[in-house]
Amino acid sequence: MRLPNSRKAREAGFAYIVLLPAIAYFLVYFFYPIVVELWASFFRGQPLIGQSEFAGFDNYRQALMDSRVRAAFGRTVVFATLGTVFTLVPALCLAAILSGPIKAATTIRAIIFFPYIISFVIVALMWKSLLDPYTGILNALLSYLDLPTQNWLSTPSTALPTIVAITVWKDIGYAMLIYIAAIQGIPKDLYEAAEVDGASPAQRFRRITIPLLMPTTLFLAVISTIGHLQDLSAPYLLTGGGPAEATRLYALHVYEAAFLELNIGYASALSFLMFVAILVITFLQFRFLNREVVY
Amino acid sequence: MTARFSHRTPLATFAAYGTLSFFVILALFPFFYMISLSLQSDADLSSGVPVLVPSVLQFSNYVAIWEKAPFARFILNSFIVAGGITALHLFFDPLVGYVFAKLEFFGKRAMFAALLSTLMLPFFIRMIPLYILTAKMGWLNTYQGLIMPFAMSAYGIFLMRQFIRPIPDDLLDAARLDGASEWRIYRSVVLPQLGPPMATLGLLTFVFQFNEFLWPLVVVSSVEMRPITTGLTLFNSEFFTQWNLTATGGVILFLPSFLLFVFMQRYFVQSVMTSGMK
Repeated sequence: MRLPNSRKAREAGFAYIVLLPAIAYFLVYFFYPIVVELWASFFRGQPLIGQSEFAGFDNYRQALMDSRVRAAFGRTVVFATLGTVFTLVPALCLAAILSGPIKAATTIRAIIFFPYIISFVIVALMWKSLLDPYTGILNALLSYLDLPTQNWLSTPSTALPTIVAITVWKDIGYAMLIYIAAIQGIPKDLYEAAEVDGASPAQRFRRITIPLLMPTTLFLAVISTIGHLQDLSAPYLLTGGGPAEATRLYALHVYEAAFLELNIGYASALSFLMFVAILVITFLQFRFLNREVVY
Repeated sequence: MTARFSHRTPLATFAAYGTLSFFVILALFPFFYMISLSLQSDADLSSGVPVLVPSVLQFSNYVAIWEKAPFARFILNSFIVAGGITALHLFFDPLVGYVFAKLEFFGKRAMFAALLSTLMLPFFIRMIPLYILTAKMGWLNTYQGLIMPFAMSAYGIFLMRQFIRPIPDDLLDAARLDGASEWRIYRSVVLPQLGPPMATLGLLTFVFQFNEFLWPLVVVSSVEMRPITTGLTLFNSEFFTQWNLTATGGVILFLPSFLLFVFMQRYFVQSVMTSGMK
């Protein structure tokens, strides 16, 4: 059906009036900052408030040469990889169990999801009090069971695994819910056909559930990785980057360069490198995980 | 659903409930411990043996912390900021979603693509320029400085568009024939059908903004303008050995999210589950 011209004009007029504030908003708060960030990364000092000189690629060169930056990036990749794997695997198991005949499945689902909606400020506070080497309940429990106690967040070798565990604890319920939704979307006759062919529940899970959940796994892997790569709350609130830089993650390094050292140009270059890294890693995940689906 | 995993052995059932119990306890235990700590006396804490159940319930902690920091102001700030952001979302997201779902105009596809591309931009990348921008506008330490970077979201607009698309065009056309303006159609025909998705959007927006930590940390310098998230960290660092008082602050910060969750748990769970099914 062709629209009469007057009506078309009326619709378009209304659309533009509504979109005007939206366009202004997204330009000012999304597109302008990205352009400015890129521009600032080519200046020394504080380009955004006028005290600067053109530096070309110096900021990028300096960042790539800095061993602390490389160490922080390597640590962040470890943090993101461990965090993603240890979130997704148990979340999938929980979703599979909760999709079966389980009593009170709705309540259990809600309880496991609950930590996800809690502020990381509280999460950090709760876990720091639990893990406190002198007054925390965890070490008390361990010594009661005659197991060696640990100074979890203050020992270089255990600090990073501990903050991984805490972020996993918070995120697992979200991944679980997404997996439950995806499992509910799998056609039933696939399972019935497999059952007729004599496939065991384990075989059905391996041959039907896991391959068909690949798009969901991809979605969760991408958002979990991106979230972990730029996570600032966890190291800031739990350890401040210590002990001995063991939890100094990339985002914390950028935050300090920008807001403590006020080295805006350099921090902008660091941010942009992270942006590029996120794009590359997302692209690789799509390539790698998509191939698995097709076979 | 039941048919799918019907061949359960007793051992498998036992393993399933065992796993679930483990994760339920793991999810809840830190909260119990925080509530327990918030009721412990200094004597309990310094006894050298951490306890899970306080010897006496010291409710006075809940009185004491109001004297240590301007907690009432922190809570008020959190409600103003999270409430303001939620109101803006509930006004703009469905309206813009309607325009993209039902109206025809030049540049629609390109604008929608540009809008969706903002989902790819991590907040982290925008943070430094946004800070400078906010400073230049003189909005550091103000409510508008805290609210504006989160006033609309591409995600919210996209979500609302998904819910508006199935509304039959005939219904809108009938209203047009009756001489209703576009605004009137949106207000009287479209908006009344968006109850549940709007509740979900409002809920998620409010809870996540109530929890926001990074932006207030950057943009607020005075104590009185802090929302409760950054207010609590000030408290925590100043009285870091007093876990009972810190935990008391934690319980207060946790309470609004907890109550919202208990009463609207179904909406939360549904919204997350639909968001993954895009």
